[in-house]
Amino acid sequence: MKRPQIHKINTDVLIIGGGLAGLNAAIGAAEEGAKVLVMDKGGIARSGSIGGGVDHFLAYLNEGESWDTKEGYLKYCADTAKGAVDLEIQEAVFCDELGRALERMERIGVSLYNKEGIYYRTKSMGQPGPYWINFNGKRLKPCLAKEVLRLGVNALEKTVTTRILTRNGAICGAAGFNIRSGDFYAIQAKAIVGTTGDTVRLFESPTRNPFNTWHCPYNTGDFQAMAFNVGADLTNMEYVRMTLVPKGFAAPGFNAFFSLGCTLVNGHGEPYMERYHKLANRAQRSMLVWGTLNEIREGRGPIFIDTRHLDSKTRNHLFTTLGYDKDTLPDFLKAKKEYELEEGLIEIMISEGMQGAPAEVCGSGIRIDRECASSIPGLYAAGDSADQHHCVHSCTTGGYLAGKKAASYASKIKRMDVDSKEVRQEMKRVFAPLQRSKGLTSTEFEDVIRKIMTDNLVPAKNEGGLKLALHKLKNIVPYAEQLVAQNFHELMRVHEAQSLLKVGMICCVASLARKESRFAPYHFRSDYPERNDQDFCGLVLVRKGKSGEIVTGFHRLEYRV
Amino acid sequence: MPPVIDYKKCKACGTCDRHCPGDVILQEKKKKPIVLYPWECWHCGSCRQDCPKGAIRIVFPPRMINI
Repeated sequence: MKRPQIHKINTDVLIIGGGLAGLNAAIGAAEEGAKVLVMDKGGIARSGSIGGGVDHFLAYLNEGESWDTKEGYLKYCADTAKGAVDLEIQEAVFCDELGRALERMERIGVSLYNKEGIYYRTKSMGQPGPYWINFNGKRLKPCLAKEVLRLGVNALEKTVTTRILTRNGAICGAAGFNIRSGDFYAIQAKAIVGTTGDTVRLFESPTRNPFNTWHCPYNTGDFQAMAFNVGADLTNMEYVRMTLVPKGFAAPGFNAFFSLGCTLVNGHGEPYMERYHKLANRAQRSMLVWGTLNEIREGRGPIFIDTRHLDSKTRNHLFTTLGYDKDTLPDFLKAKKEYELEEGLIEIMISEGMQGAPAEVCGSGIRIDRECASSIPGLYAAGDSADQHHCVHSCTTGGYLAGKKAASYASKIKRMDVDSKEVRQEMKRVFAPLQRSKGLTSTEFEDVIRKIMTDNLVPAKNEGGLKLALHKLKNIVPYAEQLVAQNFHELMRVHEAQSLLKVGMICCVASLARKESRFAPYHFRSDYPERNDQDFCGLVLVRKGKSGEIVTGFHRLEYRV
Repeated sequence: MPPVIDYKKCKACGTCDRHCPGDVILQEKKKKPIVLYPWECWHCGSCRQDCPKGAIRIVFPPRMINI
């Protein structure tokens, strides 16, 4: 292995993570005239949870119906995400940016219109009307990457960010390394936008492969861990998000099935969702997972999605749109032969858990304000690592706004030097696993985290279990500090594992603080099984205490719609 | 295990390596790419979609399609 080089780079805005939110942030910042750098562990053309494609964009379009307006949308937010969604931020970020986002999609060459020139709109997940626009988003990331480069944004690809650097409590840069050359980067930046997504490899996969996950398995909560370390507030971190996926393959596609009218049936061949929610199969995601968990628990599995009643035109649309959302899913279903069976029953399973959004309209992660700014001056968040963003519509609108506001902040301040001593220390810390001859591999270590988290947080939690999980996670901290890597790829996985441990601990502490149940099974406390709006209608805040411990607070949310 | 590269079709352009979000595929200088960490693939299909020679196919292991 050759000796790594050290590079120092200056930029106005640094974007950590070049997924959907990150590239929209890059566009927003570049259009404001800022010098922009994107750092991504992969390549910006295909990184992130929609790297391979996507098929849905949530929007209200003011086409006449009352649900199809800003007011209708905000009411939907309050109805399905009460206690987690901040309506003021929805209005200032999503509602104000939606028009520009729809225009931008067309401008970069990814049309939301179908071949007939109309929006193909569908409804699911508790929506009062068809908010989903079905579209072919297979080239969304490559088109965004092209636009970002056209605007003069620099991209550092295959480069992991390991630390955010601050001076006098404000952002001054970040550090990281290239996973091929091992080159180390000290970035001086006036502002940072963090967009590394949710935390995926935190819970056991039902297929036993931790990379067989619904969202991108390379989303390991790196920004959540780094932002926590510099003192940023985080919220909604107690929610363990899950969904329904085809048996054997944790692929997205769920939304397409239910929005086109498919039905969940149990092993007795009976539809069951009517027993759990009045909207049945069009109820919100957490409710479908909850109902399905209960069917399995009571011995009525296996579970199937019934597509038999769909006409051939709708079936063709379903098959096409599944491939837009997950390129390889149609191949998988063909290989399993389920889709082609006359029966049209597709066996499903409950996915792994993840640190992620409690509902479809808000997120989990860094607490943001109306300008997507965190509690640290110069630090912004967007996409699935921000507490009020989630999914394609939010990443597109919120990413852009975060980039724009970060650039505006950067234009008003002077660049601060990074502390060279801190950079040297970070470099030593980052590369230490390569020098060790003894220690756990990241694979072994991650397995322990996932086992602890899964045993104690999925699908139900209680005080005893959460305290036990926290105790066990603390017990493995010494191992985290002695992990080994044989090359830079493994070194990336080592740093990911350390992020997973931090996010796991935060998740346990936040879960202990919310002494009620909300969005079950995402946060179901068996010792507090009811929802308690009087005491818990709001956000559990998490931040780093004076001696590094995780402390909590509470921010109450009001709903007047 | 996905993805599988057809080396007769592959022209070693490096697109699959550059676009793989998980650093699963490695192409060293002038050599043809190898699927170095198949276990870490999340089947996004980016390599297959973007391969200009159509040299990549996805093969699902029994633990995915036969369980």
